Amino acid sequence: MFKRPDNWAELTWQQKRDLRLNKWISAEGTNFISKQAEKDYKARATRLAKATKMEKPDRVPCMIPTGWFPVKNAGVTLKEVMYDYELMKKVWLKFVDEFDSDTFDGTLFFQAQVNDLLEAKTQKWPGHGLPDDAHSYQYVEGVYMKADEYDLFMKDPFDFQLRRLLPRTMGVFEPFADVPSFSSYQGLPERLMMMCLDPRFQKLFKAIWEASKYLPAWWKASAETTQAAKTKGFPMFRGGMAVAPFDVFADSLRGTQGIVMDMFRQPEKIHEAMEFVLPQLLSGAIAMSDAADCPVVMMPLHKGDDAFMSDKQFETFYWPTFRRLLLGMVEEGLVPFPVAEGAYNRRLEYISDMPKSAVVWMFDQTNMANVKKTVGKVSCIAGNVPVSVAYTGTAKEMKEYCRKLIETCAPGGGYILTGGSTFDMANPDNLHAMMDAAREYGTYKKRK
Amino acid sequence: MPKTKEWAEMTWQEKRQERFNRWLNPPDVKFVSKEAEKLYKQRVTRFIKAIKLEEPDRVPVMLPTGNSPAHWGGSSFRELMYDYKKGHEIWKKFMAAFGDMDIFNGPGFIPCGRIAEVVRSKLQKLPGLGLPDDATMNQFVEGEYMMADEYDKYMLDPTDYNLRVMMPRTTPLFESFRKLPPFSAIMGNFWVSALADPDIRQTFETLMSLTEEQKKWTAASLEINQYIREHGYPSLWGGGIMAGAPFDHFADALRGTRGIASDMFRQPKKLLEAMERYLQWTIETNIKNLPLTASPICMMPLHKGDDTFMSDKQFAEFYWPTLRRLFLAMINEGLVPMPFAEGRYNNRLKQITDTPPSGVVWYFDQTDMKEAKRILGGICCIAGNVPSSVMITGTVQQVKDSCRRLIEDCAPGGGFILAGGASVDSGKIENFKAMMDAAKEYGVYKK
Repeated sequence: MFKRPDNWAELTWQQKRDLRLNKWISAEGTNFISKQAEKDYKARATRLAKATKMEKPDRVPCMIPTGWFPVKNAGVTLKEVMYDYELMKKVWLKFVDEFDSDTFDGTLFFQAQVNDLLEAKTQKWPGHGLPDDAHSYQYVEGVYMKADEYDLFMKDPFDFQLRRLLPRTMGVFEPFADVPSFSSYQGLPERLMMMCLDPRFQKLFKAIWEASKYLPAWWKASAETTQAAKTKGFPMFRGGMAVAPFDVFADSLRGTQGIVMDMFRQPEKIHEAMEFVLPQLLSGAIAMSDAADCPVVMMPLHKGDDAFMSDKQFETFYWPTFRRLLLGMVEEGLVPFPVAEGAYNRRLEYISDMPKSAVVWMFDQTNMANVKKTVGKVSCIAGNVPVSVAYTGTAKEMKEYCRKLIETCAPGGGYILTGGSTFDMANPDNLHAMMDAAREYGTYKKRK
Repeated sequence: MPKTKEWAEMTWQEKRQERFNRWLNPPDVKFVSKEAEKLYKQRVTRFIKAIKLEEPDRVPVMLPTGNSPAHWGGSSFRELMYDYKKGHEIWKKFMAAFGDMDIFNGPGFIPCGRIAEVVRSKLQKLPGLGLPDDATMNQFVEGEYMMADEYDKYMLDPTDYNLRVMMPRTTPLFESFRKLPPFSAIMGNFWVSALADPDIRQTFETLMSLTEEQKKWTAASLEINQYIREHGYPSLWGGGIMAGAPFDHFADALRGTRGIASDMFRQPKKLLEAMERYLQWTIETNIKNLPLTASPICMMPLHKGDDTFMSDKQFAEFYWPTLRRLFLAMINEGLVPMPFAEGRYNNRLKQITDTPPSGVVWYFDQTDMKEAKRILGGICCIAGNVPSSVMITGTVQQVKDSCRRLIEDCAPGGGFILAGGASVDSGKIENFKAMMDAAKEYGVYKK
């Protein structure tokens, strides 16, 4: 848990960030398996911290975009791992022992038993809408908030969650859709009593209590795995997660079709609602990073991509609140780590409007030479070895690809070598080749 | 056949007529005889005409029988909290012994004792649970359950506030709800850990352990009311909502008298803002598009707007504007708000005239009915107000005289319902009969 010093309010954001990064690098209280592991951990974390601050580390840090690759690597199926957290732990630690990387990317965080019991409707997973041998799960976008529910979302948020959103997203919560609003206190105990008369509620609570056996076990297994990786010398470059205010609505609540209509039919409601979630996203990110004692906040971005909206829409809807969220995090000493899924070729100028070295931008399919010339001047950049190369290329091709990326992006510092997306089904040789490339081509020469 | 108009296109009178028709022709009631059906329709028609400020065949009567049948049958509120069957036998016998009544209801206001014991609310005392065993009524316990600085918290997320703050404060069984996380922390599977907390689990397990009892009580209550309807006695209640004045929501249940009196001086804007929000929610969630219910009449007990609780100026500023808009919203949905002005409304009469004619039924307790008729006549149907003192201690003749004066003052031209000023819990059956007789004797409208 990160503790702020008494003079916190007087510090600059850079000083706050340094305090947080140093705390992360120091890994106090970690029982490393060896002196070497401790040395490796600190070297890796320092390398990442320096790149973040656009300084020159000893060499380009490399984050192997692990994803669910450990599952393939262990010769088991995702389905098996999803239902067996002991197996999950084993599979991930096997990967840690066999593959070098500058980070540990975290474990699978899909809790199949819990999703089974709660009848999750927003996910498909192996055996539930996907074939048993599927190697990933799939988010199911939908209209989970209706066009006329923005006001309810803002004016009675708990009510919206309980009686509208949950029944639409989780089967066992369906009976809540038929319960009268709790926004008036009158007769509330009696209404709760009446609610429990519905046998579906008894089913709901049974499901919850059953699920509660699995959930803590999952969290525990996941935390233990991350901790074990840490003691072996692999830092996790992620303290929390956050999303762009626009994506809260576009991804999770209104869906693509819904949000597109809203941009034309009720733009002011989107703006109002984004303002509403902005402080919550910020305080959530701060709380997570404090708890994890790592200032890096990973932010997967979706609907701001080149193909989803026009420049004008990006400028109007996506960027302003997102930018303020980034600045809010920076001000608290956090390191926002947005991951621009898809292509951001048309967005580069907008997103360059940030304090220098405050953000780490990761790109998926964006042209990295252009990135280096624009965003790369103000922010550390990361990316973007394509999944295609990792899956179908030879080790030689992989190494070559990485070399070119390093030559384009590394000069001057502020670059992290990583994938455009996760390498779930990659050729194992290519993971090694990527690391080799970082070591061979990514070393910064010291000036004497 | 002409197509029925869409609901949204109907005038409020047309919507109300639809609801009246549903009341007149209840699809779920199988009358025991043609005679019972005829009487039922006559009785309902009598009320509908009075509400519409027309002259029915005679003045309709709401007998203030309340829980009196319990007393009449040699039982008590407390006993009937536990023995539903016994209550129903008594109510049936009372109904048979009485004969003609314009409305009648089962002992629905007597709660289920076993549940009340477990879900003990600090807001209410019951016979044997805070009140003497022989008490004839339940008692509301006012208090400062919402603090002066919590208006914002309440407005920011009312459901969150009700569940996580108010419930633990008012009902010990829900103490565990303090541990629920705020909505913003609850996403997806976080619900599992929130609801799986052992204390929260205990609360729900307790609630669920009571469902059998609750089912029995609910079934019994439905059964007795169904029995009463089938025998030709309508009910006035049936609007499906028990809404109150927005001011009372804060004054009664949340801030208490002392708290609200301070707020009117110290933070009037907050109070007005919160009432505005509450009004909007009530309209949005409870009133708009309310389906057809057993009857369109919504009984609304009013408290803190009474002559002695506040000044005329305060009434005009704090009480009436939101209450009036609540009435208008209900009227617009075809509902009939029937505010029950507990206490005295003499000073208020001139302040409550600005509602559409025949839209509201005012039910008065101790208000001067002659004045009420003078000021509200032609605007609102009025109901009232034989004093409980007369009903309980008076002779048959005194009851009849009291009713006669009321009828003479209020009935001319229609728009009057003869009623008690309050319910009587230990009345004499002959005095109820005297009231009924008075209506028949003095309340007939000449064709």
